[in-house]
Amino acid sequence: MGIFAWRNLLTRPIRTVLALIGLSIPVLGVLGLFTLSNSLRDLVGDTLGGIEGVIVLNDNAISPVLSHVPASLADDLRKIPDIHAVAPEVWGVAPPVEGQGMIAGMVKGKAMSILDQPVIAGQEIASHQGLHSAIFPKALRDHGEGRFLQPGDEGKSNIVISRKIAREYPGANGQPRKVGDSLKIGGKPFQIVGIYETGSMLLDVVIVMDIKTARQVLYRPEGSLSCIYVEGKDPARNDALIAGIEKSHPGFDARSMGEAQASFGTLMGQIDTFLLMTVSLALLVGVVGIVNTMLMSTTERFAEFGVLRTNGWSQGNILALVTLESAFLGILAGLVGCLLAWGGATVANHFLAGGGLQLGMTPSLWAIGIGLSLATGTLGGLYPAWRAARLVPMEAIRLGSH
Amino acid sequence: MAREYGRPESPHTAIPAESRNRGLPMIDVRNVHKSYRSGSRWVEALRGISCRIDRGRFAFIVGPSGSGKSSLLYLLGALDRPTTGEILVDGQSLTGMSEAQQNAYRREQIGFIFQAFNLISNLTVLQNVLVPFLPRGVTAAQRSRAAELLTSVGLADRLDHRPYQLSGGEQQRVAIARALVKSPRLILADEPTGELDSRTGDEIYTILRQLQESSGTTLVIVTHDRRFITPEDLVLEIQDGQLAGTAEADTIDYSATALTGR
Repeated sequence: MGIFAWRNLLTRPIRTVLALIGLSIPVLGVLGLFTLSNSLRDLVGDTLGGIEGVIVLNDNAISPVLSHVPASLADDLRKIPDIHAVAPEVWGVAPPVEGQGMIAGMVKGKAMSILDQPVIAGQEIASHQGLHSAIFPKALRDHGEGRFLQPGDEGKSNIVISRKIAREYPGANGQPRKVGDSLKIGGKPFQIVGIYETGSMLLDVVIVMDIKTARQVLYRPEGSLSCIYVEGKDPARNDALIAGIEKSHPGFDARSMGEAQASFGTLMGQIDTFLLMTVSLALLVGVVGIVNTMLMSTTERFAEFGVLRTNGWSQGNILALVTLESAFLGILAGLVGCLLAWGGATVANHFLAGGGLQLGMTPSLWAIGIGLSLATGTLGGLYPAWRAARLVPMEAIRLGSH
Repeated sequence: MAREYGRPESPHTAIPAESRNRGLPMIDVRNVHKSYRSGSRWVEALRGISCRIDRGRFAFIVGPSGSGKSSLLYLLGALDRPTTGEILVDGQSLTGMSEAQQNAYRREQIGFIFQAFNLISNLTVLQNVLVPFLPRGVTAAQRSRAAELLTSVGLADRLDHRPYQLSGGEQQRVAIARALVKSPRLILADEPTGELDSRTGDEIYTILRQLQESSGTTLVIVTHDRRFITPEDLVLEIQDGQLAGTAEADTIDYSATALTGR
């Protein structure tokens, strides 16, 4: 019966292909959504996973770039006995680099996203040297070149940039910037002393410099801070440290990276739900397409069903035959959707190379794609199958002969 | 062309020797009415038909278009149920059968032949003959029997062809093989030569008559074409849903074993 059902699909190739496209596109949408969502979670996990400390921001600030804390807070935090290091920072969106702001860059036809916008991180160099889990120095040591900021760089226009920034703002010869080159930020020249590479598209947009220099570049008043990076003596007791900071300093928010990951996960979950609802509509259209295709197919074949019934086929056999056809259609659409998602991810990864965001079709995503499509196809075939099965054989032959 | 239609013995299909003797009623139709809705009106296809057909007979149902011939044939094949009345085949009431029993009856005891051949275009000739067995899986013995039947109707070299590659006569021979593959007690044919030229029609009737002689199978055939009726055949004439006459073809008087409409 399986071969019979398969041949019935092949007999009407154009209709089968159209129904297949109608169902495979929503499947592609679902898989694309899951792939992107998983990749973003992995990216954020990888980015934040190596950070052991706690960031103190003002309440409700979603990012250090949008936070302001008083300088006196750093002194207060240093008095807490369980704290190993307190490192004040200033963050802000970089002014045009080499004369290119994000909007100007896009006007010139340069493909940029908000994730490509350079960000300034001004660090109090002396206090950052006492950190165990500083990301940028480690990224420079492992995959970069030059050196990281030292106490001698205080007040100077020395910067450490990412390899991505070096590539996106090349020198006059068109080659990526290298250690020793200068880079104009806000119209002023800065000396590149080091190049790092974290592999994360969220971090590889940061230009690291001395905190005083950063305040000048970002036009921040003397003594102002965006956030304070704090390392406890025992990273395993970060939760207690956070509770202690928030209790003693109302109006400030202390966040571990685990908490940030959880918040991000919750946000992604909400986005996933919203997008899934949208994709569900597409899936519903896919089901309607299958119902329509199978209804047309069964209506044309009334005489055939009548003949099958005259040869002893039961209503259940007819139901199984038609449902099997729509299930095959579902499996095919699932395979096509998965292949399209896999191809799309491969192409997208080519453009995302080096950004840390890697789209991928895991075995579970293949299973979800094919399973979802199989269920959708089967569901869509049930009504036409039931309609074909309940025909009185004699009536079916009569209807089919006309 | 080899023409042997012998039936294999099986528990439900074997016909005892004495049963091949005429005179034992196989089909007993008792005051059957059939009406159905056609659009907004009710059509009375059959209006109190009663008749008997003995085992092993070659019976024709004749009459004008719309007289109810095909309706009666389909009721004999349990393709539909009478509105009132009863039909007995081998003493077994078709009216009281469950859906599953009707399926089994059609699958194992009845062979159908249609005017339009009604072969399945997606299946090969051999697979078309094996259609009754597809849901439960085809055995090697069934495949072999189907091939033998196709060989016997002269289609040995056409087993893997599709219906559209065959002529009308060849397609009808496939349909005959499909009807025979289950070794049925009864073959019901609805205008089997209606779409064939007269020479091909002769060939089809030659096959059907040899089948009936060799296996003793009962055949009931609906036809407009009386050329194929021979003096030994039973003829049921239907008009306006009623039996207008029942006769041996070589007599004027109604047969003693075939009852007139009640």
